[in-house]
Amino acid sequence: MFLVVLPFLVLVFVFSYLPLLGWVTALYDYKPALGLGGSEFVGLQWFEILVSSETQLQQIGQVLANTLAMSFLGIATSLLPVFFAMLLNEVRSTWFRNTVQTLTTLPNFISWVLVYMIAFSLFSTSGLVNTTLHDWGLITVPMKFLDTDQHVWLTMLAWSLWKGLGWGAIMYLAAIAGIDQSLYESARIDGANRFQLMRYITFPQLMPTYVVLLILSIASILNNGMEQYFVFQNAFNREHIQVLDLYVYNIGMTGNSLSMATALSMLKSLISLALLIAANAIAKRARGTSII
Amino acid sequence: MRSHKAIAMMVAPLLGILSLAACTGSGTPEDAEAVSIDQDWSKAEPLTIDVFDGPANYQGIQGGWFAKVVKDKFNMELNILAPAVAGGGDTLYNTRVAGGELGDLVIVGKGKQADELVEGGLLLDASPYYESMKNVSAYDTAVQYLNEGKDGVYTFPTVVSSLKPTEPSEGVDPTFGPYLRWDYYAEAGYPEIGTLEDLLPVLKEMQDAHPKADNGKPTYAMSLFKDWDGNVMTMAGQPPALYGYEHVAFAEAKADGSDYHGVLDPESQYVRALKFYYEANQMGLVDPESTTQNYDTMFAKYQAGQVLLSWWPWLGQSAYNTEQNMAKGKGFQIAPMQDQTVLSRGADVYGGGLIFGIGSKAEDPARIAAFIDWLYSPEGVESNSSDNAGAGPKGLTWEDGPDGPELTDFGRKAILEGGDEEVPAEWGGGAYRDGGSALNVSGVLQNDEDPRTGYPYNYKFWPSYQETAANPLTEDWSEHMGGATTTMEYLQSNDQLLVAPGASFTTPTDSSEIETMRNQVKATIVEHSWKMAFAKDEAEFEALLAEMQETANGLGYEKVLEVDLANAKAQNEAREAVANEFG
Repeated sequence: MFLVVLPFLVLVFVFSYLPLLGWVTALYDYKPALGLGGSEFVGLQWFEILVSSETQLQQIGQVLANTLAMSFLGIATSLLPVFFAMLLNEVRSTWFRNTVQTLTTLPNFISWVLVYMIAFSLFSTSGLVNTTLHDWGLITVPMKFLDTDQHVWLTMLAWSLWKGLGWGAIMYLAAIAGIDQSLYESARIDGANRFQLMRYITFPQLMPTYVVLLILSIASILNNGMEQYFVFQNAFNREHIQVLDLYVYNIGMTGNSLSMATALSMLKSLISLALLIAANAIAKRARGTSII
Repeated sequence: MRSHKAIAMMVAPLLGILSLAACTGSGTPEDAEAVSIDQDWSKAEPLTIDVFDGPANYQGIQGGWFAKVVKDKFNMELNILAPAVAGGGDTLYNTRVAGGELGDLVIVGKGKQADELVEGGLLLDASPYYESMKNVSAYDTAVQYLNEGKDGVYTFPTVVSSLKPTEPSEGVDPTFGPYLRWDYYAEAGYPEIGTLEDLLPVLKEMQDAHPKADNGKPTYAMSLFKDWDGNVMTMAGQPPALYGYEHVAFAEAKADGSDYHGVLDPESQYVRALKFYYEANQMGLVDPESTTQNYDTMFAKYQAGQVLLSWWPWLGQSAYNTEQNMAKGKGFQIAPMQDQTVLSRGADVYGGGLIFGIGSKAEDPARIAAFIDWLYSPEGVESNSSDNAGAGPKGLTWEDGPDGPELTDFGRKAILEGGDEEVPAEWGGGAYRDGGSALNVSGVLQNDEDPRTGYPYNYKFWPSYQETAANPLTEDWSEHMGGATTTMEYLQSNDQLLVAPGASFTTPTDSSEIETMRNQVKATIVEHSWKMAFAKDEAEFEALLAEMQETANGLGYEKVLEVDLANAKAQNEAREAVANEFG
C-alpha cells in the first residue's frame, strides 16, 4: 500500500513542503547575486520592521481589508452563476442558448492582460467610451474610469464577474441536467408553473453543489490571485486595489526587498491557519465533528 | 499516518541541504596569464551574445547597420535584454542573477549592482585581456578608479572623457531646459517669462491659439509619462533642474553645494513642480492621457506637434525639430526664463554611472573584451552613438572634407529628418534610426575629440555643420536671444548655467534596513505625487501633500533622508576635489 501512495507523497513534499524552505529567506538579507550563503543573517529584523511603525501596520491593515473585501464581494455574488444557469436552462431555443453560453464562457479563457487591453481601449481617457461621449457632446473633459480611486472594489468585481459568470454556470447547468425529471413531472401535475418549478425544485436541488463550491471558495479567501489587480493597478487606485498577493509582489519584485516580502507572505499562512482553526471550531459546534 | 510523517520530517531537510548545496557549487579556476584579444575576429566562429543592458529601450536582436558593423568586425550578434522594456523594476535583473548568469556582456549601474555582481562571482576578471585592450587603456585612470579595492579588472567605465570636469558634458544643448514651441511663442508676441509659473499663462495662450495639431488631434501644453519613475515622479523631478537642483534620492541639493533639503520639504522645488502641474491641469494644459501613456506614445505626440513644452531638448527637439519643420520656422527652442540657472553635468573623467562588464559564464570572453575595447576606439564611438548627437559610421553618414568632417547627403537626411531614411543594402538596409546601436550608452563622451578627425564626435560641433545649421527657426530664436548661436552659448553668457563638476561619485550601498524603507517610501511618494498633480482642487492638493508627508514619515522617510543628505554632501566634496585636481 505504501508504494502506491508514495508518488503522491513525493508530489506533496515537492510542491507543498519543499517551498516552505524558502521561508528561511525571511531570516536573511537576501541578495540574489550573493545567494543565500553569501547574504547576511539578520534574524527577525524584517518582522520587527513590519510591526515597528504605525504607518506600516496601517498599510497592512488596508491590504487585508482589500483582500477580504474583494473575496467577500466574490462570495456574496457567487449565487449569480446559479441564477444565470437556471435562467439559461429555461431558454427554449437551442441555438440561442448555445450562443449565449459560448459567448459568456469565452471571457474565462482570455488572460487578464488581454482583458486589461480591452478595458484600456474602451475606458481610457482616449478610449471608445470617452471619445463617443465626447463626440455626442455629453462630456467635455474625459471621464476617468481606470485611473481613479472611486469604486475600485466594485469595478474589480464587475470585471471578474464578466470574466467568470459563464464559466461558473457550467457546473450548475450540469447539475440541472442531473435533476430527477420525475420531480418536475409530479410538480407539474400538482399545477406548478415555470417559476414555481424553478423556485421549488431547480433551486433547492442546486444547493448541495453550491454549498460545496462556497466552502471551497471560503477556504481560499486570501488567495484572490494577483493577475487581475496587477494589470489594473496604477498610482491612483493602488490604495484600494492592493490585495495581499499583489502587495507581496510589489514589495518583493518591484520594490526589490525579497526578504521582507517573504516575511510578509508568511503572514498569509498565519492568517490562513487562524481561519482554519476558527472554521474547525464552528464545524465542531455545529456538527459535533472536527475537520482536522 | 505516523510513519509517513516521520519520513517527511527526515526527507524535507535533506532535500533542503541538497538544494542549498546546488546554489553554492560554482566558481571556476581562473587563468591569470595574459590573453591577447588582438586578432581578426571576423574569421571566428559565429556567436550570439546576451547583452544585459540596463539603459536599453529596445529588446531583441540588434538589427540594421550597427548589427552589420559588429557582424563584419566580430562575426557576432547582440541579443539585447532590456529590463526597462521587460518592466517590473528589478525583476529581470533579480531573476537572472538568482539563476547565476546575467548575460555575456553586462551593462549595469556602478556601485551597488556592480559590487554585488563582483562579490557574487557573476562578473569575469578581465585582467588577462586588459593588457591588450589598447583603446580602453587610454582611460586607465578611470579604469583603475572604478576597480579600486577589487582584486582585478571587472568593470569598464562609460562616457569617459578627457575634457575638464568643469566643462559641460552635454554639447550645444544642456540636458534640461524649458523648451517651448518657439513658433507659437513668437506668435504670442514673445511674452516675458520671469519664473517657472509664468510659463502657464504663456502656454495657455499658445494652446488656445492652436487647439489642434496638424493631424487633427488636440494639442496640450504638456504631456507626462510614468515609465522612469523611481525615487520620485520623474516628470516633477525636471523643473528643479532648471534652478540647479538635483535629486540624490530623496535629498534635493543645489549643485553648487549651497542648499540641501528633502524633496518633501514644503518649500522644495519638487513640491513646487507638483503644484505647477496641478495648476496647469486646472487650466486644462495637461494631456489627460498622461496618467496611462508610456514614453513611446508621448514621443509620437511630440513628433506630431501635439505637445508644446519639453523639459529636455533630446525629447522636444529630437522629435520635432526636423530640417523640414525648422525650415518653416517651427520647432522647440529654449525659452528665456529670467531666473533660471540650468543644471549641467560636467564631463566625467572617471566615467558615468554605468559600467561594462563581462559575464563570468561568457562563452568567448576574449571576443567580448575585444568588443568592449572597440567601443572606445574612434570607429566604435562613431558607430555606437545612439543619441541624437552621434554622427554614425564613417562612410555612411559622414566623410572627411576640406574643413574637417562633414555629413553626407544621406547623413543629413538620416540624422536630421527623423531617421526614416532607408540605409543602403551594403550597410545592412532598413531605416537608419532602427539600425542605430541599441546599447544606448557610449564608451567615450560624444563631445570628446575624435583622434581620426581632430574634431568632437558630436557633429553639432563640426564647422561644416554649423555653417549650414542656420534656418528660419534658429535665426528667429537667435535674434530674440541677444544673438546667441547655441543654447549653451546663451546660458553661459547670461550666467544661467550651473555646471556640476563630473566627479563620477558613486552612492554607497544602503544598509538593508534603509533600502527597504527607501523602497516603501518611494512607492508612496510616486503614488501621491501623481494624485497631487491631478488633484481636483487646492484643498485636495494640500490634503494629499500632508498625507504624503505623514505616510512617508511613518515609513521611515526621515531616516532615509539623513543618509541621502550625507550622500549629497559627500558628492559635493568629491566634485570640489575633482574640480581642484583637473579643473
